[in-house]
Amino acid sequence: MTAGGGAPDTGPETGTAARTALAARTRGLRKVYRGTVAVDGVDLEVPEGAVVGMLGPNGSGKTTTIRMLLGLVQPTEGEIELLGAPVPGAADRVLPHVGALVESPGFHPFLSGRENLLRFAAAEPFLSGRALDGAVSAALERVGLADAARRKYRAYSLGMKQRLGLASALLVPRRLVVLDEPTNGLDPAGTQEIRRIIAELHAGGVTVLVSSHLLAEVEATCTHVVVLNEGVVVAQGALDDLLESGSPALLVSTPDGARAVDVLRDRRVPARLAPDGVRVDLSTTPPATVIEVLVGAGVGVDEARRERTGLEEVFARLTHDVGAGTGAREPASERAGERAGAGADR
Amino acid sequence: MTAPDLATSPSLDPDGVLPARRRAPLGRLLRSELRWIFRRPRTLVVLALLTVLPVITGIAVDLTFDGAAAPDPTAGPGPGGGGPGEGPPIFVTMASSAFVLPLGSLMTLLMLLLPLTVAMASGDALAGEQSTGALRGWLLAPVARGRLLLVKAVGVLVVALVAATLVATSGLVTGLVLSGTDGLVSMSGTQLSVGDVLWRLAIAVAWATVYLMAVGAVALAISASTEHPMLVVVSVLGGLIVSGVLLQISALDWLHPYLLPTSLASLADLIRDPLAFDGLAEGAFRSLCYLVIGMSLAYARITTRDG
Repeated sequence: MTAGGGAPDTGPETGTAARTALAARTRGLRKVYRGTVAVDGVDLEVPEGAVVGMLGPNGSGKTTTIRMLLGLVQPTEGEIELLGAPVPGAADRVLPHVGALVESPGFHPFLSGRENLLRFAAAEPFLSGRALDGAVSAALERVGLADAARRKYRAYSLGMKQRLGLASALLVPRRLVVLDEPTNGLDPAGTQEIRRIIAELHAGGVTVLVSSHLLAEVEATCTHVVVLNEGVVVAQGALDDLLESGSPALLVSTPDGARAVDVLRDRRVPARLAPDGVRVDLSTTPPATVIEVLVGAGVGVDEARRERTGLEEVFARLTHDVGAGTGAREPASERAGERAGAGADR
Repeated sequence: MTAPDLATSPSLDPDGVLPARRRAPLGRLLRSELRWIFRRPRTLVVLALLTVLPVITGIAVDLTFDGAAAPDPTAGPGPGGGGPGEGPPIFVTMASSAFVLPLGSLMTLLMLLLPLTVAMASGDALAGEQSTGALRGWLLAPVARGRLLLVKAVGVLVVALVAATLVATSGLVTGLVLSGTDGLVSMSGTQLSVGDVLWRLAIAVAWATVYLMAVGAVALAISASTEHPMLVVVSVLGGLIVSGVLLQISALDWLHPYLLPTSLASLADLIRDPLAFDGLAEGAFRSLCYLVIGMSLAYARITTRDG
């Protein structure tokens, strides 16, 4: 808190442009736990107002990255900017604006859900003494635990525990909400609930960073995606872009499929017949050229769209490619990620 | 400490309930911490045990005295002398008195049970909170790490104070019930007034609290380095036992001044008349040294550990 007084105040002034654009940003983030690299050269960008899904296999460095982002873990190298201010330097200034659920939420079995939440509410800088009760009730209401508020935490189901953790992240209005594996242990209804809350936050202009290994979840809720593998960012950007990049093909609906294929093959563009038209491989030709060729040859085009595959396929491709592509990395790097997860628990 | 510019963002504080400050008030954190400590079942169980033990001791001593007193007339020498087989009745009378019973209970329990109580509280304060993830919750709120340690240390201090007070009070009340104001006698044989006794007991409780806080500070240092509360209790137990053994080895005389339990003997000075403060002061100073070292280590550890 002593560090919060002077120097960091200059940060937001100089980075005004970046602050409006990015809720969180890292540059060359690296973390080494006792010789094993957990996170390496991560340049993360979380656009303001976006719902960013952080994907990666177990031990890929998701949790370590989130912990560094929140100032819980000191990075070995690299810079972090959270809501325009440097972390951990100005963490005390930005963290009140950040709600987070990272791993186990830290509640006690002998207290009721409400009492547990009150404990954390007491530490919230933005809550005045008389606002505590109201904030706790509102948060409980929001995650659907109002009825179970007076029950002992001991009697909570796994899903209720997870929801209570979410409630603690939503005690005050936030600018950024970070959720690490929020759907862990939730049944489909609970998962749906989390999805609804994320959508609500998004609609309210809150930036959400959510890590998950459930691809369907991310595909359903996120606008942006970051894919981590073995501590390295292998892809990031808008979800749509990523899905399209996953499949370099154009689906053209045309009544004259056979002729379209002939015309394209004459121009050395790989194409084949598909239901309702042709499927054109875009690895050598941009989509505009394909349309131009077809129209130029007098082939009627009803509709042309990028073929979209599931996130699952993109993810599998990305995480496998990198395994082969960064062969220079030490062979132990896979275990490094695992160790990082274990180390983070310490 | 002006309002941070981030807090002036228009999307925030639509209801005006968000004061533009950077940290929660310390009093609120302390209240929350104390509520948590004294709601915890194991704290209550241990404190109840500490309250009951002086009562049991007093009753046991009193019964022994009654049993010994009955055969006395037939045994011959009379109540004052005491045979070789039976304890000296004067001592027994004193032991259940409202002065010696609380002081004796405090001395006995300070050997093991009271330090373990404090070690348990210290273990729960950081290691326990780390293992459940609550510590992370505090850091994210955010509560600065130094402030967090302060809150936790005050919690342990209150446990130490309450535990020592309960033992002394329970002993005092038991003594008063069993012996009234009889036997308020110093070791030198002088009669002590009730006010004098209360004053000496207050010193004993304060001294015991400082001693316990020394144990607590070391325990907090261990607690800041692990996430197993049990390890904290076991370490303190081990440390006390090892110290006790070392204190028995006269060849290690040079080491004894550095061992915390060395101070315990000085508590007996409170039975003397007039009061001798030298030993107590030295013991308190030794405790303060441990306190400073323990808290420094705890601070160094908590500020560098990963959350």
